[in-house]
Amino acid sequence: MHKNNRNGFDRFYDVNGWAFVSLALGLIVLFMLYPIASSLWLSLHSGKGLVVKFVGFGNIIRLFHDPVFHTALWNTFIFLIIQVPIMIFLALITATCLNSPDLKWRGFFRTAIFLPCVTSLVAYSILFKSMFAYDGIVNSFFHMVGIIDQPIPWLSDPFWSRVAIIAAITWRWTGYNMIFYLAAMQNIDKSIYEAAKLEGVTPRQCFFNITIPLLKPVILFTSVVSTIGTLQLFDEPMNITAGGPANSTLTLSMYIYNLSFKFVPNFGYAATVSYVIVIFAALLALVQFKFAKERS
Amino acid sequence: MSNKRTFNMLAVTLGMTLSVLPAISHAADKQLTVWAWDPNFNISIMEKAKEIYAKDHPDVKIKVEDFAKPDLEQKMHTVLASGMTDSLPDIVLIEDYNAQKFLTSYPDAFSPMDGVVDYKEFSPYKTQLMTVNGHTYGMPFDSGVTGLYYRRDIIAAAGIKPEELNNITWDRFIELGKQVKAKTGKAMLSDDPSDPNMVRILMQSAGTWYFKPDGSLNIKDNAALKEALRLQKAMVDAGITTPSVGWSGRVSAANKGDVATVTNGVWFIPSIKAAADQAGKWGVAPTPRLNIAGGSNYSNSGGSSWYVLSASPNSKQAIDFLNSTFSKDVGFYQRILTENGAVGTFLKARTGAAYQTPDSFFGGQKIYSDFATWLAKVPEVSYGQYTYEADAVIAALLPSLYQGTPIDDVVTQIDQQLASQIQP
Repeated sequence: MHKNNRNGFDRFYDVNGWAFVSLALGLIVLFMLYPIASSLWLSLHSGKGLVVKFVGFGNIIRLFHDPVFHTALWNTFIFLIIQVPIMIFLALITATCLNSPDLKWRGFFRTAIFLPCVTSLVAYSILFKSMFAYDGIVNSFFHMVGIIDQPIPWLSDPFWSRVAIIAAITWRWTGYNMIFYLAAMQNIDKSIYEAAKLEGVTPRQCFFNITIPLLKPVILFTSVVSTIGTLQLFDEPMNITAGGPANSTLTLSMYIYNLSFKFVPNFGYAATVSYVIVIFAALLALVQFKFAKERS
Repeated sequence: MSNKRTFNMLAVTLGMTLSVLPAISHAADKQLTVWAWDPNFNISIMEKAKEIYAKDHPDVKIKVEDFAKPDLEQKMHTVLASGMTDSLPDIVLIEDYNAQKFLTSYPDAFSPMDGVVDYKEFSPYKTQLMTVNGHTYGMPFDSGVTGLYYRRDIIAAAGIKPEELNNITWDRFIELGKQVKAKTGKAMLSDDPSDPNMVRILMQSAGTWYFKPDGSLNIKDNAALKEALRLQKAMVDAGITTPSVGWSGRVSAANKGDVATVTNGVWFIPSIKAAADQAGKWGVAPTPRLNIAGGSNYSNSGGSSWYVLSASPNSKQAIDFLNSTFSKDVGFYQRILTENGAVGTFLKARTGAAYQTPDSFFGGQKIYSDFATWLAKVPEVSYGQYTYEADAVIAALLPSLYQGTPIDDVVTQIDQQLASQIQP
C-alpha cells in the first residue's frame, strides 16, 4: 500500500517534471535537433538551388578534390595556429599586469582593454579596413615614426592581409580572454606567492610555475572557445578583405557563404563544408582536453 | 517592484507582438513590392516608373524597397530556397551576370513574360540572357556599355589630345599611360587584383566569355582571355596603375583625382559626377581594343533587369506595370537618361532628343549619343551561370600572374580550378 502510494507520487512527480521541461525540450528539438538532422540530410544532396539530387557521399569526395576548400581550410588553420596562441599569451600578460597590486588606474585599464569586445564585429571590421587602407592611418603612422619608406599594401598583398586580419581579431578578443584570466587570478591564494617570494623565487618563475599551472582549467576553456571562434571566422575577412587577395584570407565560413549566396547556390555542398567545421571543432577540443589531462 | 517590472515587460512584449501582426497580414490586394539596390539609380528610376503608372492605375500601390546588392541576393536565395514565398517581393532586380543562375536554380519561381512583352523592341543580347528553355523571363532594363572616361586636364598636361584616345589599342593606352605618369606623376588607372572587372570588359570586347554559348568552359583556347591577362600584367609592370580595394576604392581614386582614366560601364557616370569640383574636366572615348582577331572598341560591364516572381498574387499586375513603362514609354527613358544617366536597352528610346543633349560636366560632349552608338556595336556573348565562380578563380590567380607566373600556366590553373568549382 505504502509502496503503491510512493509509486503514484513518483509518477505524478515525473509527469509534472516532464510537463515542465517539455516546452523547453520541444523548442530544443524544433530549433536545434531538427535543423541538425535536416542539414545532415541536406549534406547528402547536391545541385543548383532547388534542383537537387541525392549524391550520398559525393559531397565528401568533392571536398578532397576542391582546391578552394583546401585553401580555405589552410587559411583557417593558419589563423588558428598563429592567432590563438598569440592572443592567449597576450591576454595572460595583460591579466598579470592588471592583477599587480602596485598598478594605478587599474579599473580604467581593465575597461579599456575589455572594451573592444563589446563593439560590433562589422563596425570594427570596417574601421580596421579604413585604418589598414593603402593611404590609411596605420601606414601613415609607421611612415611618421620611420619604420617604413613605402606604404605596406596591407589589404592587397596575400601575406600582409593575413597579418591585418590577425591584428584585428587579436585586438577584438584579447580583452575578452583577459577577463577570464583576471577573474581566475584573483581566486589564487595570495599566500602561495608570499611563500614563493620567501623562497627567493623570481617573478618570472612565479608566472610560469605558479600562475600558469593554476590557471590551466581557464586556459583550456579559453583556448577551446577561441579555437571554435576562429574556425567560424567570418565577419572580419568578409568585411576587411572580402577573402582576398588571391583567396589568402578566405575562411571556411566565408566559403560556405560564397557557395550559398555568391556562386550558383549549392546548399548541400555548403552544408557538407559546415560539417567539416563541426568535426574539426570537436576534434581540436578533444585534443586540448587530452593534452591538459596528460600534463596534470 | 520586481513583479511590476515583469508585468511591464510582458505588456511591452505583447504590445510589440500585436503591432507586428497587421504587418504580416496582407493589407491591400493590389500592392506591388519591388526590391532593388542603388538609391541614386535603380530605386530612383523605379520611383519614376511608379509615378507614371499611378496616373492610370490609382488603385495599385507600389512600394520600392532599397537593399545593398549582396544583401538582396542573399535574401532572395534564402527565401527562394526555403519556399516561404510570402516574404518574396513581386518584382526584383537581378544583375545580368546572375540571371541564368537564378532562373535555372529556382525553376518556376519567376513568371515568363513572353507573349506579353514585345522582346523585339530590346537589344537582342538582353533577351538572350533571360531566356531559359524557350521562355523569356524578365523586363530588360539598363545597359552596361563601357567607355574610356578620361580627365581632360590631366591628359592635356601630359601633352595628349583627346582625339588621340579615340579607337586605340590597349598597348597604345599603356604607352600613353607612361607619358601621363612621366609628365604628371598621376596613375593612368586604378587596379584592384581582387576584382576582375577589367578582364571581363576586355574579353567581351573581343566577343568571348568564360563560357561557350552551350555553357561549357572557354578558358584554354580563349585568345581574348590570354590577351586580357597579358595586358593586365603589362599595365601593372609599366607602373601606370595605383592600387585600389573594392568599389569605394575605385570611385575614390577617380573622385580624388588620383587617376587619369577609368574604364567602366555607362552607369559609372553618377559616381564620376559625385566629385562636383571636377565639372567640365571629364571626357569619354571608346573603350580601347584588344589587338587580336575580333577585337573591337565596344564592350559591356554589368547591367540588370527586372523580374516578376510567380508566387506573387499580383504577378499579372506586376507584368503589366513593367510592360507599360519599361517597354512602351519613350518619354520615361528620356527622363531617366537625363536625370539618372541610365542608358536603357529599349531600342526606340535612343531616337529621343535627350540622347542628343550635350553634358557640361563632360566638357559639352554629347556623351549619351556616343554611348548609344557604341551600345549598338557591343559584341554579344553568353554569360552562362557561373560568371561569379570564374571571377573568384581569376581574382585568386591575378596576384601570382603579377608575380611572374607565365600566362599559359595561369590559364591552365584557371581551367582546372573552374572545372572543379562548377560541378553540379
